[in-house]
Amino acid sequence: MFNNVRLNNAQNRLWLLGLLGASCLLAQDAALPNCSVTVDVPNDAPVALLGISNAPCSATAHGPALMLDLHLSLTLKNTGVNRIHGVTLRVVSQEAALGGVGSVYQPSLNVGPGEAFPVHIDTELMRTAQLAGGPAVQVHLDGVLFQDLTFYGPDRLHSRRIMTAGEMEAQRDRDYLKRLLAEQGLPALRQAMLRIQARQDSVPRLQGRVVRGRTLTTAGVAAAAPEREEKFAFLQFPDSPVEPVQGSLRIAGNEARTPVIDVRNRSGKAVKYVELGWVLTDPAGRDYLAGSMPSTDSNFSLAPGSTARVRQDSTLGFSTGGQPVSIQTMTGFVTQVEFADGKVWVPSRRNLENPFLAKVLAPSIEEERLASLYVRKGIETVVEELKKF
Amino acid sequence: MRHPNQATLALHSGGDLGPFARWRTSRHLAQCERCREEVAAFDEVRQSLPGLAEVPDLPWNRLAAEIKANVRLGLAAGECVRSVDPPLRQSGLIHGGRVVVAFACAAVLVVTGMVLERPVPSAAPEEGPLVQNTPYGIEVTAGGETLGLTNNGVQRVTYSLDAQGSMGARYVDPETGYVTVNTVYVQ
Repeated sequence: MFNNVRLNNAQNRLWLLGLLGASCLLAQDAALPNCSVTVDVPNDAPVALLGISNAPCSATAHGPALMLDLHLSLTLKNTGVNRIHGVTLRVVSQEAALGGVGSVYQPSLNVGPGEAFPVHIDTELMRTAQLAGGPAVQVHLDGVLFQDLTFYGPDRLHSRRIMTAGEMEAQRDRDYLKRLLAEQGLPALRQAMLRIQARQDSVPRLQGRVVRGRTLTTAGVAAAAPEREEKFAFLQFPDSPVEPVQGSLRIAGNEARTPVIDVRNRSGKAVKYVELGWVLTDPAGRDYLAGSMPSTDSNFSLAPGSTARVRQDSTLGFSTGGQPVSIQTMTGFVTQVEFADGKVWVPSRRNLENPFLAKVLAPSIEEERLASLYVRKGIETVVEELKKF
Repeated sequence: MRHPNQATLALHSGGDLGPFARWRTSRHLAQCERCREEVAAFDEVRQSLPGLAEVPDLPWNRLAAEIKANVRLGLAAGECVRSVDPPLRQSGLIHGGRVVVAFACAAVLVVTGMVLERPVPSAAPEEGPLVQNTPYGIEVTAGGETLGLTNNGVQRVTYSLDAQGSMGARYVDPETGYVTVNTVYVQ
């Protein structure tokens, strides 16, 4: 009996060792404890956090690095008296350690006082070392935009401007669709929804990368091509308060570097922010919307009639389907202007119907939302939705 | 159309498939843009993390020698107790030998695991923060650490790149019907 017990103990020890060994291997996929999340919503905010539901966090060790995969679903409630039309949350991971930050912006909302709405946050973190004691992810309220375009929030990510521009574009597109419905009826609205779907599918898409300052050149494409200076071509919108005057950038293969554009304020109001869109044309004549160029210098100011320079010390690389896209020419156009008084200008539908732009611009956020609603629930639901605004 | 699995595409990207599988995968890739993009993504990862592409120079001979030595140690321990009168199963020494062998094997296992883990992502050293889109979303990488926002499995996503160092991904959330705009920024 005694020996049997000893034998069993020895077997148990072997099992334990086996389990330890196996756990070393399985640690690659095992759940690790530090998946905690904090959500910071100030007490005086016009929204309250009703609940957080998070799917099991998966933490995977990759050698010295740790990958966390978090899926959060927050439920927020409008505790104010105004209808909410947009919310932005700032997502950081132990902010002091990482040079990056993320945001989740929920536009085109229409949430009345007392109503609740969900916000999903799907995030991945990879860190080179075991996370320290703090939460893996911190979520902070950055801004809330109301129906009357008033704003609440710390605005660390310029959410006020971004959400105001988004709301103005949404109003522009809703007004157009309402007019279409009133003047031409349901078939015209249905055709408009189908056109949006078709445009969504047909717009050529680029993959991109950007770093500040230096060349990306991972594929050696840019290194193989000599760098040259290229002048921007410009599309002018007659009603834009700011016009691009001249500009250039350095191009090598599929990389564009250090873009510089001079802009002139032709309005009667001081301007504090300008954003220009870029259309890239490749040697085969294919056009793609490549990105945008903001005037993010906090000192940027453009008095009426004056000219100023927008410059970014960064390098952008482009590819499609995994293949680098060589840059032949770049065409710029004004996409957003913010005045010193906080008002925002966005291009009109007539501006965007320019045949050159119509080929490359994806539908707006509101067009995409309404077209998705049409696909899922039919044209009557779209009509009802338009009536709510 | 039946698509090759991820492992096949990864092996194809690295040129590690056999001749027939390579031919069959190439034939599929010629017709399938989605899989071409997957392969391109594997290529990109391999290029940006060159350390991943190769198994490092492991001291295989030393490891093999250690394993052999431990096995011999166990056998020797077994030989020591074989001459003792009590039946094998009643010997205390044989249990000690087994435990020694078990500990030695576990130690080798742990050392091997540590050595194998070490070379994995040393996350390609970037001089500055990098912002880019991936097959699953957008991410910012700085100092070997990455923060990404994923698209919740949505396929139809509109990306936007900003010369200041941010990238956006916009899609309609299939569960809520709301539009979500994710953005990552270099700070």
